[in-house]
Amino acid sequence: MANDIILETESLSKHWGGIKALNDISLQFQDKQLHGVVGPNGAGKSTLLNMLCGTLKPTSGCIFHKGDQIEGMKPWKFVRRGIGRSFQKTNIYADVTCLENCAVAAQRRFTGSFNLFASRHANKLVREAAEKALCQVGLDSRIHTVAAEISYGEQRQLELAMVLATDPCILLLDEPMAGMGHEESQRIIELLNELKQTYSIVLVEHDMDAIFELSDQLTVLDNGTHLITGTVDEVRNEPRVKEAYLGKEDEEEAA
Amino acid sequence: MIFEKRTERIFLAIFFVIALCIPLFLEDNSFFVGKATTILILAVFVMSLDFLVGRVGLVTLGHALFYGLGGYLFVIVTPEYEAVNFWIYAMYIMGISALVALVVGVVVLRTSGIYFIMITLAISQMAYYFFFDSLEFGGNDGLFIFMKPETSIFGLNFLNLDNPTHFYYLSLLAVLVTLLAIKIILRSRFGRIVEASRLNPERTEALGYNIFAFRLISYIIGSTLAAYAGLLFALQYGYVNPQFMTWEMSGTALVMSILGGMGTIYGAILGTITYEGLQYFFEHMSEDWMLFMGGAIILMVLLLRKGLAGYLEKLLEK
Amino acid sequence: MSTELFFVQLINGLQYGLLLFLIASGLTLVFGVMGILNLAHGSMYMVGAYLVWYFVAVTGSFTVSAILSAVIALGLGIVIERVLIQRLYNRNHLDQVLLTIGMIFVFNSLQSILWGNDPYGVAVPDALSGSVPFTDNSSYPVYRIFAAFICIAIAAALYFVVSKTRLGMLIRAGESNREMVEALGVNIKSLYTIVFAIGVMLAAVSGIIAAPMRSIVPGMGESVLITCFVVVVIGGMGSIKGAFVGALLVGVISTFAAVLMPTMSNMIIYIFMILVLLVKPQGLFAK
Repeated sequence: MANDIILETESLSKHWGGIKALNDISLQFQDKQLHGVVGPNGAGKSTLLNMLCGTLKPTSGCIFHKGDQIEGMKPWKFVRRGIGRSFQKTNIYADVTCLENCAVAAQRRFTGSFNLFASRHANKLVREAAEKALCQVGLDSRIHTVAAEISYGEQRQLELAMVLATDPCILLLDEPMAGMGHEESQRIIELLNELKQTYSIVLVEHDMDAIFELSDQLTVLDNGTHLITGTVDEVRNEPRVKEAYLGKEDEEEAA
Repeated sequence: MIFEKRTERIFLAIFFVIALCIPLFLEDNSFFVGKATTILILAVFVMSLDFLVGRVGLVTLGHALFYGLGGYLFVIVTPEYEAVNFWIYAMYIMGISALVALVVGVVVLRTSGIYFIMITLAISQMAYYFFFDSLEFGGNDGLFIFMKPETSIFGLNFLNLDNPTHFYYLSLLAVLVTLLAIKIILRSRFGRIVEASRLNPERTEALGYNIFAFRLISYIIGSTLAAYAGLLFALQYGYVNPQFMTWEMSGTALVMSILGGMGTIYGAILGTITYEGLQYFFEHMSEDWMLFMGGAIILMVLLLRKGLAGYLEKLLEK
Repeated sequence: MSTELFFVQLINGLQYGLLLFLIASGLTLVFGVMGILNLAHGSMYMVGAYLVWYFVAVTGSFTVSAILSAVIALGLGIVIERVLIQRLYNRNHLDQVLLTIGMIFVFNSLQSILWGNDPYGVAVPDALSGSVPFTDNSSYPVYRIFAAFICIAIAAALYFVVSKTRLGMLIRAGESNREMVEALGVNIKSLYTIVFAIGVMLAAVSGIIAAPMRSIVPGMGESVLITCFVVVVIGGMGSIKGAFVGALLVGVISTFAAVLMPTMSNMIIYIFMILVLLVKPQGLFAK
């Protein structure tokens, strides 16, 4: 089972003009594992995630999902293959209720979205799936609240609930815990621990404690290049990482 | 309940009661019945625009293209001296308009934002000049409709389109059907994704929806409804000409829809009546009615940010 | 088409294109810097033409009238920006479309009240009234050549201002970042007023230059407005270089279309614009 590769990149690169945001990245993501991605600011983590979910077209290189080459496809086709992503910057429907936010996410799984006549509220499965996703992230009490009116941390939870409601097999999470309080973060860590039994998760996160605790595999990016991928211990003991990443972090803190 | 707001229900109830009674009071004044008919037809056109601009998020400045198309198609597809069946030919015309909207939509939906405004404007201008410069379609004079269609369904014929009152009720029916159709679509599962695409297109795509398809279908629906309104207008006056397709026509409809309250649908009816009423009033007050009309529009943009519907809702919703 | 006719048409097309550029430059400048879509821009062109006609009738001098009209247009631009446009900076394009449609109504109505609905013409100034022999049996009016040179001179001045001066630097910065300009200690409100007034003046100057070449009629603003939209969309909204290229393309294409396929000539530029947008959805020189 350890060799069940579900998502794979081959020499993936993204260049903006002369700037190499990401250069020659080859990674393998395994099923039912949590794969952390860390690196200093500007290392290319978000660029990688944006390419894995199809919103950004790579300059060169390939992405394989279950053996199919997918990098040229439209973003919505990625979702249909079960690749769901959350956004670093909260990206929700602010004017409607939390339930409706998740219902949009869930609807595609159950009913024809091109049905012009049936009421959007009529399908029980959509509603249940949306409610379930909200409960999973701990927003039970906010189901009927308009999304703009909940706290920032709660909006981050909603962000995650929307991805879950699409019922993906791969979760691409871009700093899901950014801006959350300690208690909320703990809840999400617990949730992710639970989720990785059934999903494969790619997690970009700044919270190092969380990522060390959660990751089965950990990839370090620095300045657009791939430093190392390994278990948490392997990465911790790798001198290049300390030098390139942790060293810089210290400098930042010192400054 | 597809009419969610109290204001909406109150307004529509009052509107339909009055609208149903108008011909009873004005039976002998065919000018006013005709004027009221025109307002109803325009309301259909404006509702279809309100749907696209306010609900789908497609700010088009070329909607009049389909208004004119509905009229031209009728003259083009019907034999000249034969009373055809209205319902059958209305179906044909809406079908052809939908096909045209499909082709136009594929082109214009490649762009967005300000470029969408511009490309819809350009395409409708192109159509305007196509009819304006063509001898086959009567150039600037347009085309005349010599025979009004008959309206029998299964041999039953209870509407005579030469009778202004009958035509009035046909137009009122069009308002009702359009209103219900748009409201049902907005409440539907399709409508949920359309709404989501307007509120946050990036997210909607990231949730697995091909928003292009949703926008295209919406564009076709809105355009087809506009074509139906144009068909009615051409039938009422017995001709169609390039003036149906001017960008001023599209612009005026936008003004009506905003005046009523963008995206509220029922506001489109309110806006159309108010605009036409104001224009009538200013025209009778002064030769320079455009000055007052322009001033009224400017004031409205500055002061009435959510349109008349927004104002009413502030009074009535608690 | 003979070579001779070809060249005459080419010059006609370029001359028309230069005039279009002059009108469109104001539109694209205002959009690029302020994000305002001004549908009443064509009305300013109309105002310029009517003003110069009126002053020529009063003073008899084209030069004096042209200067007077341009100054009045500048003042008008400042007033409009201060009273109306300023309230729209944080609104969407839809509100801008509406407000400026209202302005079109007002300007058309004022034109009809002040000057009536008869068509007028302005005589070409005496000093520029001759023709330059082109070949043995054709010649080209001096005024049109003069007009083309004025347009080129203004284009060059605009290029100089935008790329070399402090005002131009602020304009370029304002396009990309409102806050940055304010951080430089510049009052963005005044900058916007200046830019809008310049835009209005550019449209009015185009009307002034065009007055001796074209008839002055009600509705002249709207027809030129839509053509300018085509120009700036082809060039890329907000790009002055794009407006220049777009204007020359539109000028030449529509001039040749009028000769080669008269029944389709009005449609051609729209077809051309649609083709451009299909290949480059943001125009040729998109930012």
